[in-house]
Amino acid sequence: MAIQRAIEMSGVPTVLITVSAEESAQMRPPRAIEPEGFQVGNSLGRPGQVELQRQVLQASVEYLNKLVMPGQVTTISFPGY
Amino acid sequence: MEMSRRSVPYTPVFKPLNEMKFSLVTTAGVRLSSQEPYNDEGDERFYVIPGDVNVADLTVNYASPANYDFSDSLKDINVVFPIERLRELKEAGVIGGIANKHIGLMGYTMRLKKIYEETVPAIARELERSNTDGVILTAG
Repeated sequence: MAIQRAIEMSGVPTVLITVSAEESAQMRPPRAIEPEGFQVGNSLGRPGQVELQRQVLQASVEYLNKLVMPGQVTTISFPGY
Repeated sequence: MEMSRRSVPYTPVFKPLNEMKFSLVTTAGVRLSSQEPYNDEGDERFYVIPGDVNVADLTVNYASPANYDFSDSLKDINVVFPIERLRELKEAGVIGGIANKHIGLMGYTMRLKKIYEETVPAIARELERSNTDGVILTAG
């Protein structure tokens, strides 16, 4: 999304958690992960899925340290969803 | 010089994760209950949400033409705005802390020019002036 690109241009690293990977990829996000199969409105998981939400958030934070191709979306599987 | 849409802006991480403070930015229509609701037909505004917010004070509303089901976020705001999970990652020593400013907006509007030329740069400036070292974004 445009917001992510602008934040990154101001010198702050970012990670997008997207549930619409195709749409997000068109915007060429600096870094983006797609939790596999998550529905719109459930970026981090379903209500009350505390452990799963934490896993998704931790994966997004740790994604900052991964060497990835900017502009692409990485799909990650979280079996707990 | 304007950056081409084909190019990708990229800022390398400049310190260890456990020394970084994080901000959340969401276009899922999150705001404080005390803040004016987003306009149901579309809205370019964004709200600053403080890092020490009580989740009971957060709510969501979203333009009905977008047909976006946000009912899960009303049950548990962490599904789109994981501020409590962020606090747990700090407690666990994974990240260094919670930044003082987080951003909520709807991002749904017919006035795209206003979003791109005013809202987006204003959000980037707001975060640049905060103590954030890294941003996690969600779109719903």
